[in-house]
Amino acid sequence: MGTLTRDKFGGVAVRSRTLAKTIREIIPLALLLFVLWLIFTAKTNWHHLLLGAIVSVLFSWFSYYLLRGRLDPHLKAGVALRFPLFAVLLFWEIIKANWDVLKRVLAPSLPISPRIIDFESYLESDIAKTVLANSITLTPGTVTVDIQGQRFFIHCLSEDQVEDPGEGRLQRMTAWLLKEGPPEMRRLK
Amino acid sequence: MSEYVRDAFIVLFSLTGLFFFVGGTVGLLRCPDLYARLHPSTKCDTLGACSVILALCLQAGASFVTLKLLAIAFFLLLSCATCGHAIGRSAFRSGVVPWHKPGVKPWPIEEDE
Repeated sequence: MGTLTRDKFGGVAVRSRTLAKTIREIIPLALLLFVLWLIFTAKTNWHHLLLGAIVSVLFSWFSYYLLRGRLDPHLKAGVALRFPLFAVLLFWEIIKANWDVLKRVLAPSLPISPRIIDFESYLESDIAKTVLANSITLTPGTVTVDIQGQRFFIHCLSEDQVEDPGEGRLQRMTAWLLKEGPPEMRRLK
Repeated sequence: MSEYVRDAFIVLFSLTGLFFFVGGTVGLLRCPDLYARLHPSTKCDTLGACSVILALCLQAGASFVTLKLLAIAFFLLLSCATCGHAIGRSAFRSGVVPWHKPGVKPWPIEEDE
């Protein structure tokens, strides 16, 4: 229920406003927990549903006090809407690159030339850098080995995976997903 | 009839998964060093496991089992990427120079840095 600072009219309005804010902020987490409850219990009896609803509201309420201020402000509803398309595009990248890695390691001459390269990212928030690093790591042939500030260190199996616009595409997809970085990069091509 | 088509797809996806698993294992054995071995071991397994999970989803049909399998696939992708990154990062920070071909600059770090 939030702040102890009171305005000159006596704090009741402040208190109810922050209560409404609290409720608004725990709703996404409670919904997520409830969906997970549905999936993992796999029961649709009314008493299971009721128990799930109570537990998800209680736990999101408790964790609000633990996590308040630490939840990333970039995670908005739009991200959840854009995520399915992002996942499909990422999966396509994974399949393409996976095929490439498989061809390389099965070829008798083993045509690899591994090295670590670096590039400067234009993404700034921690969540965007995490999404980009995980996407790069998921895409075969490239592993993010370190991030120092905006500088990404990528181990790649061969140099033509660096020249490949894949990294730029992944960064663009991340910028589009989280609406970050230069405005012309926030669109999918 | 549709049963046969479904079974055919289940077999197809299972075999695809098997193929990627075999490829990943061969890659793991053939690659020269730790960094290079991260690629086939974490990646081919990822797509292989996803393919097998897809086959199991088809087998389960539209039910809660499918949703559970999709949740497993999601967490598998998340943890595969994270642990691959963790292994790579610990090697990088302890200064393991990647295996490289002669004449190739192994990493963008200057020696006097």
